[in-house]
Amino acid sequence: MEHSILGAWVAAFLTLAIFSYLYNDNPFYKFAEHVYIGVSAAYWGSIAFWNQIVPNMFGRLWPHVEDPSTLEGFNVIWYKLYNIFHFISGNIFPENGVYANHDQNLTYIIPFILGIFMLLRLIPSIGWLARWSLAYVVGLAAGLRMYGFMSSNVLSQIYGTILPLHGEAGLSFWQNTGLILNNLVIIVGTLSALYYFFFSMEHKGIFSGISRIGIYFLMVSFGASFGFAVMGRISLLIGRFNDLITYSSGGYGYATLVLLLIMVATLFILSRQDPEKNTDQ
Amino acid sequence: MNTFLQKLDSVDRRVIFLIIAVVVILPLIFPLGLPVEPTQTTIDAFDAIKAIPPGAKVLMSFDYGPSTKPEIHPMSIAVLRHLFHKGHPVIVMCLWPDGLFMAKEALDQVALEEYKLTYGRDFVNLGYRPGNEAIIKGITQSFEANFTMDAMGTLIRELPIMKDVENIDDVSFIINMSAGFPGAVEWIQYAADPHKIPMTSGNTSIQVNEVLPYVKSGQMQGIIAGMPAAAEYEALIRRAGMTDEMGEATSSMDAQSIAHLVIVLFIVLGNISYFVKRKQEKKY
Repeated sequence: MEHSILGAWVAAFLTLAIFSYLYNDNPFYKFAEHVYIGVSAAYWGSIAFWNQIVPNMFGRLWPHVEDPSTLEGFNVIWYKLYNIFHFISGNIFPENGVYANHDQNLTYIIPFILGIFMLLRLIPSIGWLARWSLAYVVGLAAGLRMYGFMSSNVLSQIYGTILPLHGEAGLSFWQNTGLILNNLVIIVGTLSALYYFFFSMEHKGIFSGISRIGIYFLMVSFGASFGFAVMGRISLLIGRFNDLITYSSGGYGYATLVLLLIMVATLFILSRQDPEKNTDQ
Repeated sequence: MNTFLQKLDSVDRRVIFLIIAVVVILPLIFPLGLPVEPTQTTIDAFDAIKAIPPGAKVLMSFDYGPSTKPEIHPMSIAVLRHLFHKGHPVIVMCLWPDGLFMAKEALDQVALEEYKLTYGRDFVNLGYRPGNEAIIKGITQSFEANFTMDAMGTLIRELPIMKDVENIDDVSFIINMSAGFPGAVEWIQYAADPHKIPMTSGNTSIQVNEVLPYVKSGQMQGIIAGMPAAAEYEALIRRAGMTDEMGEATSSMDAQSIAHLVIVLFIVLGNISYFVKRKQEKKY
C-alpha cells in the first residue's frame, strides 16, 4: 500500500507538472520533461539490451556450454575471448556462455561489428564507419517495406476502389441506391484527389474542376483527421483526470489537492518575483 | 454583441484550457449516463471475433504504452473478455517496449483474476522484442527464432499453448492494439495480407483515418476506433451477457461528449468572431 501511495504522489506530481506548461513555462514543467526523456531513453535502452542484444546476439555468438572442456578447434580461442568479457562483466556475460537456448551462429558477428561501427560516430576521426551500418539499415528497411507496401497499400487499395456502379441482386431499391451512391463517392473521391497531385498537365478548364473536387475531398479528409485528433487528445486528458481524481482521495493522502496547492502557490510566488517574464504570456 | 464577438478573438488561451478542464472533470465526478450506440465498424470487429472457430488460437499484439493507455487499454480488456469467454487460447506479444506492462496488467486482470485461467495453457505473454516490422516478418517464419523465451523466461517450446504453433500460419486470427508505428499498418502489410489471416485492430483516434482504408477494402475486419469505440465494444459484450461491468471507456464517455460539444461551440464562435471582424474591417 505504501508503494502505491508513493507512486500516486509521483504520478500526480508529474502529471500536474506537465499540465503546468499550459499556464507558462516553469521549473516544474522543465523538471518533469527532463525526467520523462531520461527515463524513456534509459528504459528503452535497457529493454533492448537485455531482450535483444544479450539473448539474440551474444546468445548466438557464445551459447551456453555445460562443460567448456568439450570445446574444440576455433571455439577454444573464441570462448577464451568470451572469458575476458566475463571477467569485465559477469552479469552480462555469465560463466560458460549466454543461456538463451540458441545454437551457435557465427554470422551474428556481422551485426555485432556493424553495431560497434554505429557507436563510432562518437569518435569524429573514424565516424565515417557508421555509414556502413546506416547503409545496411536503410537497405534492409527499403527491401522489407517494398513488398509490403506494394502489395497492401498499392495493389489491394486499387482493388478496393474497383467497385460496381450497378445495384446488387436481392437488395431493395433504397439499399441499391445507397450502395451505388457510396461507391460513386469513393470512386470520384479517389480519382479526383489523385488528379490533384498530377502536375504534368496544367489544371485548366474541366481539369481544373476535377482538381477542385479533389481539393474538397482532401479538405473533408483533413477535417476528419482533425476531429479524430481532438477526440484522441480529449481521451488522453480524461485518462489523466481520472487518475488525478483517484489520487485526490483520502486513501492517497489527498495527493492531487496538496500538490496542486503547492504548485499554484509556488508559481504565484515565482510570477511575483519576475513579473516581466510573464507579461508576454 | 458585435464587440463581444470581436473580443472573442483575443481571449487568453488559458481561459479556454480552464473551460475544457472544467467540462471534462465535472462529468467524471457527476456522470450523466449518456447512451452508447455501437457503430458499424465496431460491430464488424465484434462479429469478426465472434466468428473465430471455437478453440482456435488468437495472436494479440499490444503495441501501445502508458501515453495512450486511456484510449486503448479499455479495448484490450473488452477484447480479452470476449476471447476468454469464447475459450480461445491467446498468444500475446508486444512490438512496443512498454506494451509488455500493458499486456501484463490486462492479462492479470482478465485472465487470472476474472477467468482464473492457467498461464502457458490458456494464454501466454511472449513479451517484447525490438525490431518493429522485422519481428512480424520473422514470426511468419518461426515464433521460436524470435521469441525463444516468453516474458517469464520460460522456453516457449515447453509451453502447452505453443505446441503446434510453428509460425503465424498456425494462428486463426490477429488482433492488434495499436498506437502508431509499428502497429496495425505493419501487421496488415507483413502478416494479415500476405498470409491471408483475418485481422482486426483497436486504434487510437488519431490513427483511424490512416487505418480505415484497410477496413473499407476488406483487408481488415472492422476497427475499434478510439475511446468511443472502446465504450461501444464494452456495450456489445455487456449486451451479449459476457460481463456486467460498465467498463472504463463507458464511464469516460460523458466527459468526452461534453468536451466535444464545447470544442464545437468554440469553433463556431471563433468563426463567427472572424467573420464579424472581417466585415468590420471591410466597412472601414
